Amino acid sequence: MKQAMRALYLGVIVLLLLLTLAQGNEIPLPDTSTVPSKPADPAALRQLQSRYHSLSKQLAQLMPAQPYILVDTARNHLYIRHRDRVMLDALASTGSGTMLDKPGETQSQWIFDTPRGEFFVQSKLTNPVWVKPDWAFIEEGLAVPKNQADRIEPGVLGEYALGFGKGYFIHGTLYTRLLGKNVTHGCIRLNDEDLKSVYRLAKVGTPIIIF
Amino acid sequence: MTLTSILYSLILTLVPVTWALESSSRPLMDVTDPAALQEATRVLAEEVKVAARPQTYVLIDLAANTILLKGRGVELHRIPVKNWATSDQGELATTFRLRERPPVTRRKIDPSISSERDPISLADMPTAYSLRFTPALMITIDSYDHANVWGMVAHFMSQWWRLIIKWWHALWTEAGSSATPELDLTMSVDDAQSLAWMLTDGMPVLIRRPTQ
Repeated sequence: MKQAMRALYLGVIVLLLLLTLAQGNEIPLPDTSTVPSKPADPAALRQLQSRYHSLSKQLAQLMPAQPYILVDTARNHLYIRHRDRVMLDALASTGSGTMLDKPGETQSQWIFDTPRGEFFVQSKLTNPVWVKPDWAFIEEGLAVPKNQADRIEPGVLGEYALGFGKGYFIHGTLYTRLLGKNVTHGCIRLNDEDLKSVYRLAKVGTPIIIF
Repeated sequence: MTLTSILYSLILTLVPVTWALESSSRPLMDVTDPAALQEATRVLAEEVKVAARPQTYVLIDLAANTILLKGRGVELHRIPVKNWATSDQGELATTFRLRERPPVTRRKIDPSISSERDPISLADMPTAYSLRFTPALMITIDSYDHANVWGMVAHFMSQWWRLIIKWWHALWTEAGSSATPELDLTMSVDDAQSLAWMLTDGMPVLIRRPTQ
């Protein structure tokens, strides 16, 4: 197979060379057009270098000065990083990306993605209790309870939870065998040990970057 | 475009590894090179504006053959580019916004079925797709892996076909180039899927162009 491919490549190159000779055209160069280079005026170059360094400094100042949480939803890892140092690398579970139709509403669904972008830790909870939303009943084919007390399910979120807005949390899980997979309804799940580390290292206001 | 130049372009699609190796040996930025410095400064100025907002963004570095996902100036993920081609580098000097991320087929939960549902994964992401931006720009992502010979053949055939279509349009229209600037990026299959995963609607994209 490799020899056949090599023979094919050589054949096409020979054909092309023959075509070029036949047409008598100047051999065209590949498109290597680049940003045109201006003459090196020393004063202008120094000014440009100064601007470059100033902008580099501005960009560096935008980087989180404190430890921050980074979530890779494709590979299901949660990191805590401080500048270039990785303080924690945890296996996680993130949103499944599946859809669930909202009953009685055409063209409207819940989409179970972990949101992407930049967020901040807004709350830190101990012994959190899950108050099941409507979709948790609907996806199981169950009726949505009218009594709020019937929505409460303790012991499924682990010992800690960190909220980052719109009902999304970093919390624990009973299903540790599913860590590393996209199985949640949008929240980020960790095992008990990693969750404890995150709870200790993160503060309210700690940035969370999710991609 | 002459027939010979078209055919040379087709030939050059057969040597992506050589291109990539040559390009990757180039130093990232030389502060004494006016053109490189000017380009790097332009990109930095755009990046500072974008990084100041709570969002992730993409920096396509054509000089280093790399795509970087960044947030607050921090590199979050890096994707190597095997090779690239563009219709007009002059049109790439601005911040673009992705109109829509690549489509992905989402599985629907059926409450009447109690079995475990297959979650979405990187393998569900497309391996070849087009991205449209505002202001007008089209980026075509293509991919192949060396281990998959037929995939490689399919990739080169699709590249050739695209060149032939462009030549055909150039032949029948007055304008020498397409109205929308275009950038073609080729990468591995895994990386194309990874890129599709991490893109979001409205995501800012910056492009650093190579210099002499």
